[in-house]
Amino acid sequence: MMVDIDLSQAPFSLLDEAGRARVANGVDMAYFDTGEVILDAGQPGEFVFIIHKGEVAELDTTLPNARARIGHYTAGDVFGAISILNGQSRYRFKTEQETLCYLLPKALFEQLCEVYPAFGDFFRESLASKARLLVERRASDGVSMAGFMLARVAECMRTPCIVTESTTVAEAVAMLNDQHADSLLVRAAGRVGIVTKTDLLNALILQGLERGSPVLSIAHFTLVTARPEDYLFQALVSMTRHDVARVVVMESDTPIGVVELTDVLSYFSSRSYVVSLEVEQAENLDALARASARLPELVKALMSQGVKLNFAMDLLAALNGRIISKAFQFLIPPQQQSQSCFIVMGSEGRGEQILKTDQDNALVLKDGSDWPACAADMQRLTETLYKLGYPPCPGNIMVSNPEWVNSESGWRQTISRWVERRDGASLMNIAIMLDAHAVAGNVQLLDGIRRHLFDSCSHDEIFLSYFAKMALRFAAPLTLFGSLKRPAHGIDIKKGGIFPIVQGVRTLALECRTQPTSTLGRLDALAAQGRLEPEFAADLGEALSLFTELRLKQQLARLDGKGRADNDPNLVVVQSLSSLERDLLREALHIVKDFQQRLSHRFHLEY
Amino acid sequence: MIKSLRRAADRRKQANGRYGWLFNPYTGDELVAIDCETTGLDPKTAELVSIAAVRIKGDHVLTSDALDLRLQQPDSLTGDSIRIHRLRGVDLEEGESLQAALEQFIDFIGNRPLLGWCVDYDVNVINRHVRPLFGFDLPNVSIDMAQIYQRELRRIRPHLEPHLGFESIAKALNVPVMGRHTALGDATTTALMYLRLTKGALEAC
Repeated sequence: MMVDIDLSQAPFSLLDEAGRARVANGVDMAYFDTGEVILDAGQPGEFVFIIHKGEVAELDTTLPNARARIGHYTAGDVFGAISILNGQSRYRFKTEQETLCYLLPKALFEQLCEVYPAFGDFFRESLASKARLLVERRASDGVSMAGFMLARVAECMRTPCIVTESTTVAEAVAMLNDQHADSLLVRAAGRVGIVTKTDLLNALILQGLERGSPVLSIAHFTLVTARPEDYLFQALVSMTRHDVARVVVMESDTPIGVVELTDVLSYFSSRSYVVSLEVEQAENLDALARASARLPELVKALMSQGVKLNFAMDLLAALNGRIISKAFQFLIPPQQQSQSCFIVMGSEGRGEQILKTDQDNALVLKDGSDWPACAADMQRLTETLYKLGYPPCPGNIMVSNPEWVNSESGWRQTISRWVERRDGASLMNIAIMLDAHAVAGNVQLLDGIRRHLFDSCSHDEIFLSYFAKMALRFAAPLTLFGSLKRPAHGIDIKKGGIFPIVQGVRTLALECRTQPTSTLGRLDALAAQGRLEPEFAADLGEALSLFTELRLKQQLARLDGKGRADNDPNLVVVQSLSSLERDLLREALHIVKDFQQRLSHRFHLEY
Repeated sequence: MIKSLRRAADRRKQANGRYGWLFNPYTGDELVAIDCETTGLDPKTAELVSIAAVRIKGDHVLTSDALDLRLQQPDSLTGDSIRIHRLRGVDLEEGESLQAALEQFIDFIGNRPLLGWCVDYDVNVINRHVRPLFGFDLPNVSIDMAQIYQRELRRIRPHLEPHLGFESIAKALNVPVMGRHTALGDATTTALMYLRLTKGALEAC
C-alpha cells in the first residue's frame, strides 16, 4: 500500500513489520480546515489521529479561555488514542492550521493493542505519565535527598540529658533508660563533660565502681562540638576525624543538643553524596580539585533521581561556596582573611549555576587594611580556581583583574559612578553586583556595600526603568498566535526565557530591597511583601526551573560527549522535544511574556 | 447526444442483466476517485496496466478500503511508458486478467460518481475495454478535477492565468503528492485535492 505514513517513530516502532503493514493498509485520510473541531469533549473516540501535516490544539473546555490550551500536536504526533481507551474524549481537539490526518479506526487500534501489548502500554503509560506530571507540578514541595543534604545540625539534634555533678551512676543509668538516650552531659564547675553508655558499662563491670559513686568521675571533658548552624555533613566529618559516635551542639558555651552518628548516617545513604564529605575533608588543593571534579557526577545522580531542580541548585551552590571558601583559606594568610571578603557574582551569586560555567568574582578589602601582596595573591587565587574547574570569565570579571579588587569606600565610589553613568556596561555591572554573595573572608563587608547599592538605586525611578528595560531586550520566542517559534537552529531559552525572568525579578528586588540573592528567594520575598501575587511568583519560579532544566539536560549531554561540542546549550530545538515538553515550554514562555508586559507597565516602558 | 443515446440503449439492454443497477441514479454521498496507468497517451490505442479507485465519504478518504489492481502484461507495454509508471513486464506477471479486473472495478465503483485527473481520458480507455467484454459503457457521472479547479480559480481570481499541472495544483492546494505515477497514489492525491477544493482552500490562500 502506498500511503505515505511514517511508522518508524514511537508508538509504531513498537509494532513489527506485519503490524505496521496493518496500520498502513488500515488508515483513512481526512482534511480538516483551520478552526475545525476534529473531536469534541464528550464525543466517543472513533479514530486514532496521526497528523501528516498541520497543527492541532487540545483544549480543556472547562477552563477559561486563556488557560484552556493544554496540548499541542504537529506533524507525526498521535492523538485520540486516549479517547478510545477512555470511551470518550475528555478534551476538545481543534485544528489551528489546515490539517491532514491519517485515521486509524477504533477496531483496528484495539486489535493492535491486544496483539502488541507494548503498543497498548505506550498509550496507557502516556496517559499515566501526563497525569503524574501534572500532579508533580502541583505538589511543589516533595521531600528530596538534596533537601536532606542541606540539613543543618539543628534539624537533626536531640535534646541532651543534662545532670549535675552530684548525680550517681545508678541515677544516670535510670535516666538513660527513661529517655531512651545513649549519652548524658554532666555540668560541673562551669565545664561540661559527657558520659556514654560504654563509659558506664566499663566503669561498672571492668572498674567495679559502686552504684552510688558520682558519675562525674567517669565523664570526659574534651568534647567534640558543633554549632547548630553547621551543615550536618560537617558534623559527620568531625565524628570521623575524632573517632567518636556523637558530637555535642554548643551555642555560646551552653550545650543545647547532641547529634548521634546513627542519626546522621540515616541521612547519607547514597554514594554520590559522599562528594560533599570529600570537599569537607580535603586537606590540600589537590584533594579539593579531586572532589570538585566529581560535582558533575553528583548533578547527574541528582537529576536522574528526579530531585527538584531548586534543591539541586541550593546544594550545588552550597558546595561551590564551600570549595571556593576552602581554596581561599588555603591560599590567603589568616590575618588578611578577616580584612577582606571574597564575593561571587552573577549566576554563581544567585546560586543558580549548577555546572561550573565561569568565574565572576570580586574582592572587598576593609578600609585601612594593609596587604601589599594582594595583587599577587589574587592572581594565584584565580589560577587556583581555574584548576578547580572554574573556567576564567571572558569579560575578565575576576579578582585577578585589579578593577574588581577594591576597598569598601572604593566600591561605594565605583557603584555611585555606575549609577550615574547608566550605560549598558554599568547597568550590567550593577546587575551582577546585586547578585553578589559573600563566600569567604569577612562576610560582613558585603552588607555595607549592598546597603549602599540599595540606597543609591532603589528610589531612583529613572534608573529603575533603565534597569527594567534590559529585561525587555529579548522578546519571548512566541508567534503572533501564541505558539512556539521553531527555527531550525532552535530557540534561545537564555535570552528568551531565563534572562528576562532573572533581570525582571532583580529589578523588583532592587526596588524592594530584598536581601536574598537567588531568583527563587527573591520571588518568595517579593510575594511575602505583596509586590507580586503568590501564584504569579510561583509560576515565574516554575518557568525558570523549566528553562534551567532544559538547559542543564543539554549541558549534561554535552559533558557525556553526546551532542555536538559546538552546540550552544542555550538553544533548544523545539522539534526535538516531546509534545508534553513543548506544552510546558510554551506555557512557560507565555508567563515570561506576561511578566515582560507587567514590567513595561510598571516602569513605563511602553513607547 | 450520441453518448446519451448510447447510454439509453445500454440501459435497455442491461435492464434485466447483472449490471442493470449501475444505471440507476446515485443517491448516496460518496465519490470514487479513480486513476489508471496505461501504456500510452492515446485513448484509442493505450492499454491498461493498473487501475486504482478510492472512495471519498464526507471528509474522509477511505484509503483503508481502496482498490489497487494490476493487470496482465498487455502487448503494447514498451519502454516509454515503463519509464513513467515503472511497472515492468515482470511486475505484472501475477496481474489479473482484464475481465476479472474490470469486474472487480465495476463492482467497487458501483453507480457512484467518478472523480479523476483528466477523468475523461481514463473513462475512455476503460470504456474501450469494458464495451467488448460487458456490452456497455460506464454510465457513471464523472467529475474532472482539472476542470473544477480551473472553474473555481476563474470564479475567485479571474485575473490569474491558471497553472495547470498535477504537481503545481497539489502545491497550490497544499496537498502532499502521494506516490506520483502509481495509480493508487494519483487517485488518493486527487481525492485529497477534491476535499480541499470543496472546502474552499482557494479562498483561503
